[in-house]
Amino acid sequence: MRYIISFIMILITLVVNGQNTAIGTNEKLTFSASYNMSGLLTEIAQVTMETSEIKTSNATLLKLKCSAATYSSFDAYFKIRDLYESYVSPTSLTPYLYKRDINEGAYYKFEQYKYNRKANSISSTMKKRDSEENKTVNIGPNTRDIVSTIYHIRNLDISKASPGDSENFTFLFDNEELIINVKYLRKETINTNLGKKECYKLAVSLKNDDSLKGNNENLLWLTADDNKIPVYAKFKIAVGSGELKLKSVTGLKN
Amino acid sequence: MRRLFIFLGFVASILAVILSVTPLSKIAYIPVVFALIFGLIAFYLSRQKQYPKKSIQLIFLLTIIALTITTYKAVFNIVEVGDVESLELKEKESEEKAIEELENLDMEKIDQDLDEMPEFNGNNSNP
Repeated sequence: MRYIISFIMILITLVVNGQNTAIGTNEKLTFSASYNMSGLLTEIAQVTMETSEIKTSNATLLKLKCSAATYSSFDAYFKIRDLYESYVSPTSLTPYLYKRDINEGAYYKFEQYKYNRKANSISSTMKKRDSEENKTVNIGPNTRDIVSTIYHIRNLDISKASPGDSENFTFLFDNEELIINVKYLRKETINTNLGKKECYKLAVSLKNDDSLKGNNENLLWLTADDNKIPVYAKFKIAVGSGELKLKSVTGLKN
Repeated sequence: MRRLFIFLGFVASILAVILSVTPLSKIAYIPVVFALIFGLIAFYLSRQKQYPKKSIQLIFLLTIIALTITTYKAVFNIVEVGDVESLELKEKESEEKAIEELENLDMEKIDQDLDEMPEFNGNNSNP
């Protein structure tokens, strides 16, 4: 009897911990992306992160959408209209379909990954203006796409982490598996559009790619509450550095 | 020496005017500062040797124009997203196609995903 109760308790713990506790179904976060040149910040684009419920005939999924659009003053010079979507399990945030549609100036690219979780593979479609490529790519059992990885990081129980703890996540980008390392630095109180907020300060780095430059210079601040809202981010890339600031938020889960 | 500073002053002030009319107008503050420094040095050198100062006045004029445009844009320009109708339309189409793609999805498999435990435990493992 004691073993049965223990088993049930473990099962309940697993189920409770496996659930999505941070991401609401109609959440909308709006950010302003700025480019930093010699300390002068110039707002260049609006980035939105939205979630919504999607129903098929036999399943209910969560759609995670990230889009980026340059401000009107930049449109005449370099117009960006990017759309990233990931269709995930509403409970575990495991992705089943990923789409990326990018329009940057004259550059266009469409990418789609349809996950086959049983075979640990994806059916990949990649389209450019003048070419199309279809292929099957083998992936690891825990490989996600970039959008679901961001949301997965938000869903982590960081309250139990100690400063210096780090974790790796594998995600697929341009049909290549990349490893992102997320390191918990410390708690920090910062001024945000939501007021003064205590945040988890995380350092993000890519292990097998050099797109992100510097050591501990790509930082992410998540509110230290149940919603873990990404209120502020700083990044350093080859062509300079920039930041993302939260402007507005609606539809939070908690 | 005077000619060098007049030349540098002109380059900096023209660059400041060009940058001030682009969306990256805030960067124009950098050449504005340089143009003022070069202009002042050239002015000082011209005054010492009693040379004409017309070209230096032009440097200051261009710098003031750049400074006015940049400051006006920084104070009065409202950042707003341009035309996103095509993006919204694309998103709607994409969602419809995605629902078709996801129709044959195994719902039981989705429920089994519950046994994944997302925890930041610092053991350098995948989720």
